[in-house]
Amino acid sequence: MTAAILTDLTKCVGCQACVWACKELNGLPRGDDARALSATTLTVVERHGNVNVRRQCMHCLDPACASVCPVGALHKTPEGPVAYDESKCIGCRYCMVGCPFSIPKYEWDRRVPRVQKCVMCYAELVSRGRQPACTQVCPAGATVFGQREALLTEARHRVASEPQRYIGHIYGEHEAGGTAVLYLSAVPFDQLGFPTTVRKDPYPRLTWNVLSNLPQVVSVAGVGLIGIWWIVRRRQELAATRPPEGER
Amino acid sequence: MRGRLSRLAAGLTFWRLVLAGLLALGAYATVVRFGRGLGAATNLSDAFPWGLWIGFDVLVGVGLAAGGFAVAATVHVFHITHYKPIARPAVFTAFVGYVLVIVGLLFDLGQPWDIWHPLVMWNPRSVMFEVAWCVMLYTTVLALEFSPLVLERLGLQAPLRLVRAIYVPLVVIGVLLSMLHQSSLGTLYVIVPDKLYGLWYTPWLPVFFFLTAIAAGLAMTIVESYLSQRAFGRELEHDLLDGLARVTVVVLGVYLMWKAQDLTHRGQLALALQLTPEAVMFWGEIGLGVLLPIALLTWPRVRSNRTALFFAALLVVLGFVANRLNVAVTGMARSSGTHYVPSVLELGVTFSLVAAGFAAFAWAARYLDLFPAARPELAPSPKSTAAARAAAAKAAVQPSPTASGWGIAGLWVLLLAGWALLTVARNREATTRTPAAALASQTARRSLAGVRPAAWPAQPRLPAAFSFPRAAGSPGAVSFDHASHIDAAKPRCAHCHREQFSLLRKGSPLRGRLVMDRIRHGELCGRCHNGKQAFGVVPGECDVCHGQ
Repeated sequence: MTAAILTDLTKCVGCQACVWACKELNGLPRGDDARALSATTLTVVERHGNVNVRRQCMHCLDPACASVCPVGALHKTPEGPVAYDESKCIGCRYCMVGCPFSIPKYEWDRRVPRVQKCVMCYAELVSRGRQPACTQVCPAGATVFGQREALLTEARHRVASEPQRYIGHIYGEHEAGGTAVLYLSAVPFDQLGFPTTVRKDPYPRLTWNVLSNLPQVVSVAGVGLIGIWWIVRRRQELAATRPPEGER
Repeated sequence: MRGRLSRLAAGLTFWRLVLAGLLALGAYATVVRFGRGLGAATNLSDAFPWGLWIGFDVLVGVGLAAGGFAVAATVHVFHITHYKPIARPAVFTAFVGYVLVIVGLLFDLGQPWDIWHPLVMWNPRSVMFEVAWCVMLYTTVLALEFSPLVLERLGLQAPLRLVRAIYVPLVVIGVLLSMLHQSSLGTLYVIVPDKLYGLWYTPWLPVFFFLTAIAAGLAMTIVESYLSQRAFGRELEHDLLDGLARVTVVVLGVYLMWKAQDLTHRGQLALALQLTPEAVMFWGEIGLGVLLPIALLTWPRVRSNRTALFFAALLVVLGFVANRLNVAVTGMARSSGTHYVPSVLELGVTFSLVAAGFAAFAWAARYLDLFPAARPELAPSPKSTAAARAAAAKAAVQPSPTASGWGIAGLWVLLLAGWALLTVARNREATTRTPAAALASQTARRSLAGVRPAAWPAQPRLPAAFSFPRAAGSPGAVSFDHASHIDAAKPRCAHCHREQFSLLRKGSPLRGRLVMDRIRHGELCGRCHNGKQAFGVVPGECDVCHGQ
């Protein structure tokens, strides 16, 4: 059971209702400059050619940002959204470096800055069993909220029933080990600004492969070092008490 | 009065002026950084969140301190006590390095006052969490390792005895922490396979960071010895430096081979042969920072000449700096889509930290017993041991120095030849394999791109014309057509649909009802249809809207 969002780019009319709803709910400034994701624009409708592309946090099933955060400020909630606890954050910005989709943004101009990204309206709506503001207001039904399995089934159904309308790729089904935000499109995703070199395996596995070996390395190296110290010292003690071989 | 002034002027040497200038710039940068935030002080951005302060202050600062653990292990664990005089400067460098890393982090962290959070808020899956703990613990260990110098100076015997009692476990813990930490800084970048350029990204990053840190740490010890000889007439015995240089060559050689094999195995060697900024920086790093110093330091004549040895070691250090900056900045630039050049204030902070490091070292070299064996006034140590050591050194070098030099040179040629062969083999493999692979990927792309363009959504996809219900007394029905109300090339739905005709509140009471009075008062359609932005309500011309 994972809360998820399916965005069908062939249905998006580009009205930006999702953008304004998001800003309203999160109390973000509503200037007319919502052209790219930023610390004040957590979802955006980009134009690529003649396609409207709504971008937001992908809410990975195994998120890189949550795995790299040294204090657990970013964390995967049981309901599915990747939420942020600003009282824990120390501002190291490793989440911004680690995110394969480069989603988290920073409040560079504030003296007490926060990381900002879509948290799927977790505290206000999703944790109370309601849907996020963006899917609530979409007049075209282009972006919808639901359980990930149900939305995947729906997406597959749409692709199968209108194969001429969609490319066969459901973005987010396997990207980064699967994400809770899924996309359908008529145009290949590499033409729409989506990173397409994203790996199919969860990213945290890359660093965990190293980190999980550290206890072994430390214990073996520790015993080895102390052993060497012990043996070398004993040898030197013996060498000191015995006459040197050349004098025998 | 005049005498005091001239004394002051004499004290103001060129380098002191430079130092003062840098510290002033650093102080100004500090005010801007903490007064107005990271955005005002740095050229960092959402696309480039880590810059010079992480790349240099943290990655380089920690790495240069690696000499501390390498030498401490040599002396206290492997009991090669002959190297004991090096231990103190090396440990002190490491300690200063770590303190400066922490100061650098305080600048870079968005919320530096929360730097203690990793102590109580745990995420063991995070490399950064491990780095945080290692920095903290190892700084403590280094402070303890270094404390005998201060305690000796202050003549505090009781704590001195305590530190000496726990010294060996302390060193072992320090070595372990350091190994973890040096490699972890590389592990930080293991999670960005798509962002870090292929010349640097590899799952072996932790090992490479570890190896290069050892080489740079040892080279740094040579550099420091030379500089303190210049400044204070205190330095290390030359045969010790010679030994350090040899170990540096071996470590760099191992690194070079491993790096070459890794590049070939991952099929990234071709990237080094293209003319890109990355390739230029890569060859700068490898050529000047690894290949050249290996060549120089294998040459006995370089090792026996104090100045030449210094410059060769300096190359190793600079190559190491280039490596860390390449990973943190050069290698991340292409994927970020922006250009990052550190701001003057970023440079100011970094240079100030470096200057502070030099100042701390100079202070310690003057006031603490940093180079105990090398102090001329202490030189007359018990004659027998000095003679024994000289004899031992002679015996060690005896098997003809030139012969051993040639031996190393031969080894070095063999290694180079091995790499060349590997490269040739790899290239041949690549050329035989490429066409088929390229063809396959091309067809794959075409099949994706071949999706009927007709299925592309026509833009803008506007809602159908909307007919408002006809009220009593209305002269005719009003129908609203989106197409005649927007700029089709740049539809801005939110221009109207934010307040008066909110899309954000479904079932808003305005839906479906237009009231002429309100329109006349500049609401609803009247917001634009006011006779200025668009035609207004004109008596007798109702049919312009009604009854279409």
